[in-house]
Amino acid sequence: MSDAIAYGTIRALGEHYRQRRLSPVEVTKALLARIEKLDPALHAFVTLTPERALADARAAEEALRRGDDRPLLGIPVAHKDIYLTRGIRTTGGSALFADWVPDADATVVRRWTDAGTVMLGKLITHEFAFGLQFPGHRFPPARNPWNPAHVPGGSSSGSGAALAAGMVYGATGSDTGGSIRGPAAFCGVTGIKPTYGRASRAGVMTLSWTLDHTGPLARTVEDCAYLLTGMAGHDPADPASSTRPAEDYVAALGGSVRGLRVGVPRNYFFDECDADVVAAFEDALRVLEGLGADVRDVTVPAFDLSRSFLLILVAEAFAYHEHDLRTKPELYGDVLRERLMTGALVTGSEYVQAQRIRTRTCAEVAEVMRTVDVLATPTTPKPAASFAVMQNPDLAFPKSNMPPFNLTGQPTLAVPCGLSSTGLPLSLQLAGRAFEETTVLRLGHAYQQATDWHTRHPAV
Amino acid sequence: MADAPHPAPLTLDEVRARIAAAGLTIAENRIAMVHALLRDALAPLRRVDSRTIRALEPAVAFDATGPHLGARDE
Repeated sequence: MSDAIAYGTIRALGEHYRQRRLSPVEVTKALLARIEKLDPALHAFVTLTPERALADARAAEEALRRGDDRPLLGIPVAHKDIYLTRGIRTTGGSALFADWVPDADATVVRRWTDAGTVMLGKLITHEFAFGLQFPGHRFPPARNPWNPAHVPGGSSSGSGAALAAGMVYGATGSDTGGSIRGPAAFCGVTGIKPTYGRASRAGVMTLSWTLDHTGPLARTVEDCAYLLTGMAGHDPADPASSTRPAEDYVAALGGSVRGLRVGVPRNYFFDECDADVVAAFEDALRVLEGLGADVRDVTVPAFDLSRSFLLILVAEAFAYHEHDLRTKPELYGDVLRERLMTGALVTGSEYVQAQRIRTRTCAEVAEVMRTVDVLATPTTPKPAASFAVMQNPDLAFPKSNMPPFNLTGQPTLAVPCGLSSTGLPLSLQLAGRAFEETTVLRLGHAYQQATDWHTRHPAV
Repeated sequence: MADAPHPAPLTLDEVRARIAAAGLTIAENRIAMVHALLRDALAPLRRVDSRTIRALEPAVAFDATGPHLGARDE
């Protein structure tokens, strides 16, 4: 299989299909062969579903012959293994669910299937979307295709790794404190955390009810727009789901970004940033200015209080896991178990105060978003860390630039914007107003039309 | 006052007391990590006087399109 096909875009693959230059079955077979070759070293997949994939591909071929022009028809994807899949085991990356086979699909899985995608399998996730697997775990963690000694980010670790290695065209992710944007950043791919309530969480294992978001990862902003269009929309099965109509996010791309106001919050996001990260970010700002954006500094003091998001996360996660943690703690991975138990140590008062800080953050951001259209920051303060660093059991929770936007629920996009001196990807984070996914996607797409960072791939 | 600023960081003894109160068993070699996680998460709360946070309750009900987006003054 040529790299051009392994690293193609959804639009280009669809054109190949419709002009009979490629067929879904041959692309699926080629990707399955590529996965078989590369995945033993990368561990992006926890379950491969070749029979299902070929059945989906044959159905897509039939549909193409009938003139079906749905954009996701025959597009090879895979799902983070906290998304429930009917008849296919869903592990959550945990020994607790190592052999569990759900009898229903998550809403997003069903929507992508109905849109004609080809499901290649299930992608490893950090255990229960929170804990990197340590040595000896039932499921090995995914490795970063740019440097397998480094983590691919988490918790959508397999999603980021599979995209960077050219194994899939799109993947589902979930994001409670950065789990879509982090793997996108560390693997040099693109990911969007849509607005809270924009994409359904029904049938997706919970980490934290008020912080969890679902969304897609892909290699380009345009591909994310196709995949988000295929998953967004009201779902009565998710109590947080918005009734606002979803949009055609692809149609919104391509417009001018001239005059778009981009705010840069200079507090919090630059703490502990590597020089490489800051330099790449400032370069990205110059590109945005060159496209006509009006870039200016803004101040959101409450961002400095963002670490309190952890109180909400661990308290809610403990509420979800309490029964199993108390009755079969040995089935949880080392360190994850104790991280989750930390939620039992948060007092009721502290949880409420953390939610009040969250409300203050939302109010301050809302004020700033009256003066700018998008906030821009580095997605992560540093490039991907090594396993040696991240599998240190004494490591608590490193400072992160992503949780502020889980607190506010804003749509937030991560796009590649450079490489570190060690050859690892760097990323630009763009956050818009609630339900204005089209604005961040349009800006991110314009950035990718002006740069080539999203076209760089690791030598796998 | 109960919700006055509490600048002192969380101590290891406080963590042990909270573990006992929760009725959990946490391995000794993980307590330092638990302490660090909780200390870092609590630090912002201990830096601010919660009485100064504008009254926007109930804060536990969260909606990304909620009234905060249109609220200029409270």
